[in-house]
Amino acid sequence: MAAALQLPSYLEQSPEVASRFERLRQRPVALEVSGLTKTFETTRGTVTALSEVSFSVHKREFMCVIGPSGCGKSTLARVLAGLEAPTSGDVRVYGQPVSGPGPDRGMVFQSYTLFPWQTVKQNVMFGPLMAGGSRNSAEAEARQWIELVGLTKFENAYPQQLSGGMKQRVAIARALANQPRVLFMDEPFGALDAQTRCQMQSHLLDIWKNVDITIVFITHDLDEAVFLSDRILVLDPHPGRVREMIEVPVPRPRHNDQLFEPSFMAVRKHIDNLIHPPGQEHHKENPVLRLVARDPDVV
Amino acid sequence: MRPLASLFKGWFLIRRDLSSSRRLFLTAVSFVLPLALWCLVSYVDWIWHPDIKLQLSSEREGNSTVFTAGDHISPGYYQEMVVATRAENTRLLASTPPPKSSKRANQKLLRQLAPVAISHDWLPYTEAQNDASIYHLWRDIATGTKIPTDPALTPENLDIVKQNWAQLAPLAADFSLASLPETPLLKLIPQGLPANPVYLPAPHEVWRSGWRDFKAVPPEGELSMTQRYQHSLRVILLGFFWACVVGVPIGILCGVFDFFSKLFEPFVDFFRYMPAPTFSTLLVAVLLAGDAPKIALVFIGTVFQMILVVSKTTRLLDPSLLEAAQTLGASPKQMLTRVVIPGILPNLYNDLRILLGWAWTWLVIAELIGVKSGLTEFIETQGRFRNFDRVFPVIILIGVTGFVTDQILSWLHGIIFPWTGRGNPIAQTFFRILFWPFRQISKLSDRAGTPT
Repeated sequence: MAAALQLPSYLEQSPEVASRFERLRQRPVALEVSGLTKTFETTRGTVTALSEVSFSVHKREFMCVIGPSGCGKSTLARVLAGLEAPTSGDVRVYGQPVSGPGPDRGMVFQSYTLFPWQTVKQNVMFGPLMAGGSRNSAEAEARQWIELVGLTKFENAYPQQLSGGMKQRVAIARALANQPRVLFMDEPFGALDAQTRCQMQSHLLDIWKNVDITIVFITHDLDEAVFLSDRILVLDPHPGRVREMIEVPVPRPRHNDQLFEPSFMAVRKHIDNLIHPPGQEHHKENPVLRLVARDPDVV
Repeated sequence: MRPLASLFKGWFLIRRDLSSSRRLFLTAVSFVLPLALWCLVSYVDWIWHPDIKLQLSSEREGNSTVFTAGDHISPGYYQEMVVATRAENTRLLASTPPPKSSKRANQKLLRQLAPVAISHDWLPYTEAQNDASIYHLWRDIATGTKIPTDPALTPENLDIVKQNWAQLAPLAADFSLASLPETPLLKLIPQGLPANPVYLPAPHEVWRSGWRDFKAVPPEGELSMTQRYQHSLRVILLGFFWACVVGVPIGILCGVFDFFSKLFEPFVDFFRYMPAPTFSTLLVAVLLAGDAPKIALVFIGTVFQMILVVSKTTRLLDPSLLEAAQTLGASPKQMLTRVVIPGILPNLYNDLRILLGWAWTWLVIAELIGVKSGLTEFIETQGRFRNFDRVFPVIILIGVTGFVTDQILSWLHGIIFPWTGRGNPIAQTFFRILFWPFRQISKLSDRAGTPT
């Protein structure tokens, strides 16, 4: 079966996909990362989390960052958001160097980080209020964003009354209410169950379609990365450095049926091979298994 | 059979909550059990009653040790007292002519009956030496106008009262030392009941004494119980208030800024090991007598712990909330006022609840320094006289005050912080209605402040 399935090369793009990438490349650069290195001083010496990472993201592009655990994905997101200073190299948003966290770069965390003492509406109002907006305008604005993520009925609920998926929607609305130019999402759906995660992915694409925003999305889920993004940045671990920047040949708009299309499977398989090189992990022999007699039906 | 068996099942499950009715039952039992134990050692004579507690005492010739009503003695010595007193009376009746006696000795003898009158509320406890009233008491008991019931007089003693009154009545209708007889009166035979050896008064005695003390109108210049209570509350609340004013901001600053943490906490950590009471003499010397040194002691006892506890609570705030606020454009000042403070409030509230409990300990010490005052002074004084039936109500009052305050504060927690999900829906509705006018006003002022 596996041998019978002939996948095309992941580099093969249909004319419309190719022309779309051509147009994307013409767009202004929203985020430019050049020579980014991040090291940490620990008791065991210096650990290099990121080494000479360079890439750029164009306006309204959806880019995913993927890599095995420990490759510095989260560190990258934190440096981009300005929560950590890079050891060397620089990050520019529309040409402006990043020196610290700021409202021009939104961030959605895996752990939701909603303010538990505020209702959904108050959470979404937070950014506009910090920017000095009046309570009334912030409230009106918050309502729109809450409607966009489909939580109007819950605008007066407290975060602890919501499910994980709803919480993450509030977090997205809260980040968007600030009208950032780039949105960083650090494994936002990592804590959700498979079903909810699937819904949230489609929902996120819907939002992206309707909002002027450039998204950098950190994930360790292959399907998620391929399904969501225009381009995928694959990182190598120890130290984290760019392995490959892949243009996803799957046409837009995306829908769940595409998961089984050859172009989807080709790019997915390619990334899988990059992250889990074949013949590395499957040869570990577990001595306990030998205690069990061979069963021809269980292979 | 089956429902009965299920009644005994499932009480001991590791880390499982009991049903609400069982919880309620156990909560009741946790109070009823000590109370029942207290009743047992107070009312059941054969459980742990090795002593005799005197209800009526007598002074014996040639015996310098004086026992008064309320004292505990051994049963053997009690028997000895009874026999010896009886013997003295018999000797007195047998001797002719009757021996001479001082009027002063007779006056003292009459006062023997005072404890009986006090326990019946016929005489205020401060009037144990009011001879005029005691004299009339002898008359009333002898004539049967007043019948003692708690403690009741033994027939033997009732007879002695009558015989003595028969001797007194012809001499004078009212008390005067001059008109007391020259011959000795008969002595009342000691009366007593088995008692536990720890001066633990029976519940009804504690209740009665407490009721009496709280209703009593104090003599000129002394404080009533209610005033003492108010005084104690004032000292603890003021001490605690100032501790909060100083401790909470410093604690939060220490929790937020490493600068303040390193600047204050090492010294605070050191200082809190110096027991607050050791500063009492210094405080009295500097702040003089009055409430100031007492409030200062509660303050010192509380504030250092508070700084450390609050800073720890502040550090426990999820740092990712601060990062989220930063990415939303909050300035450092906004992070402090809009994230740190609202974020730690529920835990801070609980910290303060626990610290308020500790403050009561400091209060008791504080009231003993300088000029003794408040409830503690009463406990001290009455404890010295072994009036433990009057001490216990005050101790219980302090316990009840602390417990009730804490329960109310705990109940309010769910209302003040509805987002912690511990809220009581009835209480929340109640407060929503209560605060409705304020919400409307704040909405109006918001609207007024917004240029359109």
